Amino acid sequence: MPTKLQLHLAKIFLKIFLRDRQSIFFSLFFPIIFMTVFAFANNGEVDPIKLGIVNNSASEVASDFSQILNDNLLFNVTVGEESILRAELVDGDQTMLLILPEDFDAQSDGAELQLLVDAAQVQQLGLIMPLLEQTLISIEREFRNIEPMFTLTIEDVQARSQRYLDFLLPGLMAFTLMQLSIAGSGFNIVEFRRKGILKRLFVTPIKPRDFITAIVLARMAIILIQLTVLIIFAVTILDVRIVGNFASFYLMIILGTFIFLCLGFCLGSIATTQQAVMAVGNIVIFPQIFLSGVFYPIESMPELVQPIASLLPLSFVSTAMREIANNGASLLDITPTLLGIAAWFIIAFMLATRLFVWKEVAN
Amino acid sequence: MPIIEVKDLAKKYPLPGKKSEFFYAVDGISLNIEAGEIFGILGPNGAGKTTTLEMLEGLNDIDGGSATIDGIDVASQPYKVKEIIGVQLQANEYFDNVTLNELLTLFAALYNREVDTTELLSKVNLLDKAQARPGNLSGGQQQRFSVACALVNSPKILFLDEPTTGLDPQAKHNLWDLVRELNEAGMTIVLTTHNMEEAESLCERIAIMDHGKLVAEDTPQNLILKHAPEPPQAPMHGNIEDVFLALTGHGLRD
Repeated sequence: MPTKLQLHLAKIFLKIFLRDRQSIFFSLFFPIIFMTVFAFANNGEVDPIKLGIVNNSASEVASDFSQILNDNLLFNVTVGEESILRAELVDGDQTMLLILPEDFDAQSDGAELQLLVDAAQVQQLGLIMPLLEQTLISIEREFRNIEPMFTLTIEDVQARSQRYLDFLLPGLMAFTLMQLSIAGSGFNIVEFRRKGILKRLFVTPIKPRDFITAIVLARMAIILIQLTVLIIFAVTILDVRIVGNFASFYLMIILGTFIFLCLGFCLGSIATTQQAVMAVGNIVIFPQIFLSGVFYPIESMPELVQPIASLLPLSFVSTAMREIANNGASLLDITPTLLGIAAWFIIAFMLATRLFVWKEVAN
Repeated sequence: MPIIEVKDLAKKYPLPGKKSEFFYAVDGISLNIEAGEIFGILGPNGAGKTTTLEMLEGLNDIDGGSATIDGIDVASQPYKVKEIIGVQLQANEYFDNVTLNELLTLFAALYNREVDTTELLSKVNLLDKAQARPGNLSGGQQQRFSVACALVNSPKILFLDEPTTGLDPQAKHNLWDLVRELNEAGMTIVLTTHNMEEAESLCERIAIMDHGKLVAEDTPQNLILKHAPEPPQAPMHGNIEDVFLALTGHGLRD
């Protein structure tokens, strides 16, 4: 627990930090923009695929077939002349072009359909092929009067629909708290050092441990305010759902902030200039953006990388926050993750107090 | 009874470019500073004045010899020494956007103390600036403020590193008055200076350093008697500073 001296100092530092409203405000700018962009880019609706159909067959089956595709919301069908549609495909006005052969009719015996694609759109093939085949099979069944032997229905066992944004928010929060924390303490230290403030503090009998604790507490108060603004924004404006317990969610935020503030202290103690702290900071920040399951689950990464990735501090923090926010996990449910957080908590504080040696940092 | 005892004090730094060779920034200095005196350390730039002070303040490691302040060994108990000394550094930038009042409260908190900021600010003649930011003070005011910061723990010994460098004559005299006042109240004061007038009129004893070594130590009067060359033929009536002050007055311009 912090001592009276540490709390008193923290209060004074908090007052000092709060004066810098500009940076408090502007550091929220990026995550808010980021979340908003994601919210609108992933609103769950996929643009229909522009499909051109050239119907060379006069049969009823062929027109039924193109009607069925037309009724499917996934497609935006244009029926027309081959030469015109081909030109549109080249220009990018059509994504794909389906050519129904002359012998496409009820008596068809293996008629061949031709699908023309633009190579740039090839990744959509995986989506469209099964659909086309499915449509063809159901038409065929209808004509041959065969009942399907199997049907497949898909049910989400978790029984909740999750948007990508709901998945993203806890990770993005974890990422934001890492950035705010590392910048908060790391940049502060370098700035204090440059101005000779650390040296001045060093001639007073303040112990590094008290100084670090006071700065960490003061910074944490500010970051909690910032993150609360973010959460309110996400929940009210972007309609993001946090299923789990809010107190547990905040506890994870507090622990995570503490870890990264301490790591920021380490950076500030090692790097002597603002440029250096930026560079060293990026070494710490960047791998974690990609490896710590902020934007996509850790499980989707190569198996070789997973064990390392899951040991990173941000992985523990973002996993815990996501489990609570998305799945309503209790603290007991995420015990292993909590142990990881506790380990980093201790490591970070030890490292910070070890590396922050007045004599070296101040001079 | 000396309050500061320095014996064979040394500080070495690696030579630039040659990691394995050293030069001595402070090379075996021995000094006794008596309680209640104003002691001046003089010397050209790079003579080792600031390094000596920094070792006494616990800012810099002592590489050789020993120093005790008020009977406390500096090397082994730096935190105890810090409790009883006040320090004013050459560079004195502070946190942005913080008033003098708040800064003094902060410094007092670093000593785990409460402080009467009003009394402290009036002592250094800055009471009307209590709500000002350090960045908005003039040079003289900044120096007086950093003295105030050094006084929050009511120190026994006050270290001042070139306190009057860059000040106009009014501000300089004002700071000297402040130093004398503190000294009369019983505080021991150790200062470094390039200003000969400061050394002569303010300090009771001075030490002159060069190349990390002590070259002389005595009262200004004795040093003049011992080392000064023959006085000039026609003694001048005062100096240009007396002229400047006579024409512009002693009033503070801050």
